[in-house]
Amino acid sequence: MTLSVPLPQPNHFFNSSIEQRKRLPGGIPPARPGYHLDRDRRASNVGPITAAPSLVDSPSSFPLFQRPPTQESLSELEPADPDFYKIGYVRSMRAYGIEFKEGPDGFGVYASKDVEPLRRARVIMEIPLELMLTIRQKPPWMFFPDIIPIGHPIFDIINSTDPETEWDLRMACLLLYAFDKQDNFWQLYGDFLPSADECTSLLLATEGDLSELQDPTLATTMKQQQGRVLDFWGKHWHNGAPLKIKRLARDPEKFTWAVSVAQTRSIGMQIRIGALVQESNMLIPYADMLNHSFQPNCFLHWRFKDHMLEVMINAGQRIRKGDEMTLNYLGSQKNNIFMQRYGFSSPENPWDVIEFSGNARIHLDSFLSVFNISGLPDEYYHKSPDHLPNVGGTFMDGAVLAAARALPTWSDRDLPALPSMERKAAKELQEECQQMLVQFPTTLEQDQEILDSMPQSRTFEAAIKYRLHRKLYIQKVIQALDMYQELLLY
Amino acid sequence: MASLSTAWSCFVVAGSGLRRAVKADGDDPGKPNSNYLQTSFLGSFPARVAQVRGGSSSSRRRGPSVPFVKCENAQKDEFENVSVERPPYYSYLDSTSGQLEPASGARAAIPGEEYWPEGTASRVRAARAPEPTGKSLGSPSYGKSPGSRRKKYKTSVAASESAGGHSRSNDLLVPEAASGSSQTDLILSDSETPETSDDATEEHKDSSTEYVVYQTEPEEEETGYDLDKKLGRPHSFINPKVRKPIEEPLTSEELWWNWRKPDKEQWSRWQRRRPDVETVFLKAMAETGQVKLYGDHPTLTETSLYRARRHLFKEERLQAEQDRLEEIGPLAYYSEWVSAWKQDTSREAVQKHFEETGEDENTQLIEMFQHQTDREYRIMMGTDMRIPRDPLAMRMREDQIKQIWGGDPVYPTINYIQDPNEIIDYRGPDFHEPTPNMLAHLKEQGKIISREELEKILAKEKTEEIEITDMDEAMARAVDIGENDKFGMNRGQRSPIELDLSCG
Repeated sequence: MTLSVPLPQPNHFFNSSIEQRKRLPGGIPPARPGYHLDRDRRASNVGPITAAPSLVDSPSSFPLFQRPPTQESLSELEPADPDFYKIGYVRSMRAYGIEFKEGPDGFGVYASKDVEPLRRARVIMEIPLELMLTIRQKPPWMFFPDIIPIGHPIFDIINSTDPETEWDLRMACLLLYAFDKQDNFWQLYGDFLPSADECTSLLLATEGDLSELQDPTLATTMKQQQGRVLDFWGKHWHNGAPLKIKRLARDPEKFTWAVSVAQTRSIGMQIRIGALVQESNMLIPYADMLNHSFQPNCFLHWRFKDHMLEVMINAGQRIRKGDEMTLNYLGSQKNNIFMQRYGFSSPENPWDVIEFSGNARIHLDSFLSVFNISGLPDEYYHKSPDHLPNVGGTFMDGAVLAAARALPTWSDRDLPALPSMERKAAKELQEECQQMLVQFPTTLEQDQEILDSMPQSRTFEAAIKYRLHRKLYIQKVIQALDMYQELLLY
Repeated sequence: MASLSTAWSCFVVAGSGLRRAVKADGDDPGKPNSNYLQTSFLGSFPARVAQVRGGSSSSRRRGPSVPFVKCENAQKDEFENVSVERPPYYSYLDSTSGQLEPASGARAAIPGEEYWPEGTASRVRAARAPEPTGKSLGSPSYGKSPGSRRKKYKTSVAASESAGGHSRSNDLLVPEAASGSSQTDLILSDSETPETSDDATEEHKDSSTEYVVYQTEPEEEETGYDLDKKLGRPHSFINPKVRKPIEEPLTSEELWWNWRKPDKEQWSRWQRRRPDVETVFLKAMAETGQVKLYGDHPTLTETSLYRARRHLFKEERLQAEQDRLEEIGPLAYYSEWVSAWKQDTSREAVQKHFEETGEDENTQLIEMFQHQTDREYRIMMGTDMRIPRDPLAMRMREDQIKQIWGGDPVYPTINYIQDPNEIIDYRGPDFHEPTPNMLAHLKEQGKIISREELEKILAKEKTEEIEITDMDEAMARAVDIGENDKFGMNRGQRSPIELDLSCG
């Protein structure tokens, strides 16, 4: 979904920096560089995970948290280690017009020059197959590049996994093997992967973190996942395992970390190699540093001719210097799916869902027209005027699109809605949302405070953010309904 | 030869001026100049040294009077730059680059990116990407400690120790305060170089890599349809601003490639109106409104009527022209076709001119025609195809023209297309008329005569019966073996038979 929707990236920087300014008392205290909870630049820890700039800072768009829209120079971002690109360049990977920068939340890919909106998609990165770790999703397992020698016991482990469900375990095994294989690119690249304490994947989360989620289903799911990973490790890395296997993952934490890296950074694509078109899970070195956005400006493309993966800018996308390059990881999923798989969430997920009970329904068409949302239900989008960057933060963002989908609506062609009934329905829905908010053990502000103070770990932080985003979302829905009632005109 | 000698003397001075200052020749008679000459015109003019010498000797003769030779014609500054090298043996203007190319050793022009084989553009782009420069602070751990070379912004908080014990590697720990001061330089220098490294442009295919200047003001952008078109967004096919309303599509009658059914269901195609030059012309004239017809097709009467009218008009017009010519005189008359002749052309002026210069009218006419241009002449004579004479009646519509003269020979017109489903009708227009009495008709025409007449004629033409004795040699020698009817059996019958023969 290449929406030419403004939600320009710089906005998020502004917001984030504004927030930082607020939180850090005077200047940049040395002690707390790490906890700039700019929701923007998520730890790309787990690399592409945490949605970077798309996570618009909702507080800034709340009337309660108005901030003056001042710009702060992006001093948070430093260029990445030059070796990072060099090890790829030597192996014929290329990056055009972009830079890898590292911020407090991890890596990100930023444009180093303007790109005009052109009709052709522009390539910003091309990564050869030799640098990737690829495995076919179905048996027969085909590895590109074929690093696993015949007879290596790791192959037996991989072979024993279930083709449908255990792809992440396979990828983790492959990754660990690659770390161990001499002269493999991943030995060098692994230094730039997020380590276990930087990774926000919930697989690495403790019990406490999971309980902080305030979402029991997600917590149980994650526990299951963790159990599964540990079982797998226990099954294959038992004491009697050959040394070749044992040295790959000495302890379950390492294996869990590998699985989390595999889950968060792998990309499932259909590629064609030779004559074979295969769905494969790929760990791609530089493309996984791209963060997620619901309005991405890049996409991945497999160039068959020389087996290169190209990261291309959407056609017609105007990019300014310093914009972050983003991908859409999962498409249209709810926040908890994102959380489960990648370990981040977004307050603006346009696909987030609130379960409403009750019969209250509002008129879809008038709701859409109030917020100027257009498009089919699968592809809602809104247009804000191009010349006004959303500096101060307007109200519209993905959360309102999600609200348009999530709220129970009725639509009966020409039948007009009675304003009184609409208002009543809206009020009912608002009440429901309020109740939902109340049911959370903590409030928005409390969550915010927790985030402001130093969270112990990344996963903890992620968990707090997850619930915070949930509450923000619900609050946004309430506000949207408010606006809807106000602007309901006849 | 004086001029030649002076020319050569100029040469001498010029040539020597190139190399060294002009020396007074008065010192050394003869030799030094020739030295100069020989050095100056080394390769170029070997044959002319002798002449120059002659020139110099002539100039030498003038030597005593004039201290040094001065050029008469040329100024001092005009040096002829003679190259020592020979001009290239053959050179030509390269058709692709437009520049002068030597005949040999030139390479063929490299085609542009449009002609490269597939994949070349990406390879070229990859090859052009600049290599990253920059020194890294850390060193690789070769798989031992993943995540070791990331810059950690977490401080060394006594947070949860994870199994990846090396995560607190402090080499790269860059607390922000420290980074500000001490490592700023290093970071800055590092920050510049990776930027350049990653700034490999693949924008410009053929031009050198250039940085795009970031403009702070928004430039004038296209909007609406143009923007959509530029961005490749879905847009209507035609720009709505310039779109013309859709006209009615041509009916199948009008389409030239369509089979046309004959109008008004006739028995035969020969019954349709056959286009005649005059008819079509007249119809065209009626359509342009010059002429009023009774119906929408001109009848034969009208056609002939208007033909006569046209003829008469033409005659009338010609007569009028003739009168005008006689009235205003030829000079004035023909000056219409000579626009460059601005003088007075009335009879009096002509007369006056005649009196003054003695040129009579014809001569003046000729004089005037000298000023006529070719085009005017052709227009006047009306013979040039390129300058169309366009009487109104000639402005016929295409289908009218096609009716008379046919259409495009390559894409034939309706008239030349035959309907494949046509049932060819060989009946004539008077098919309905009863079959005439052929016999009587032919008899009237004289093509048939009756049998009696035939017989009469034949009888007249009968051949003459010559009575000759039936005697020939064989018969003469024949022995009478008694064939004749001696005993009178057939005697009676011979004579009537003979008689009949002679009659019939």
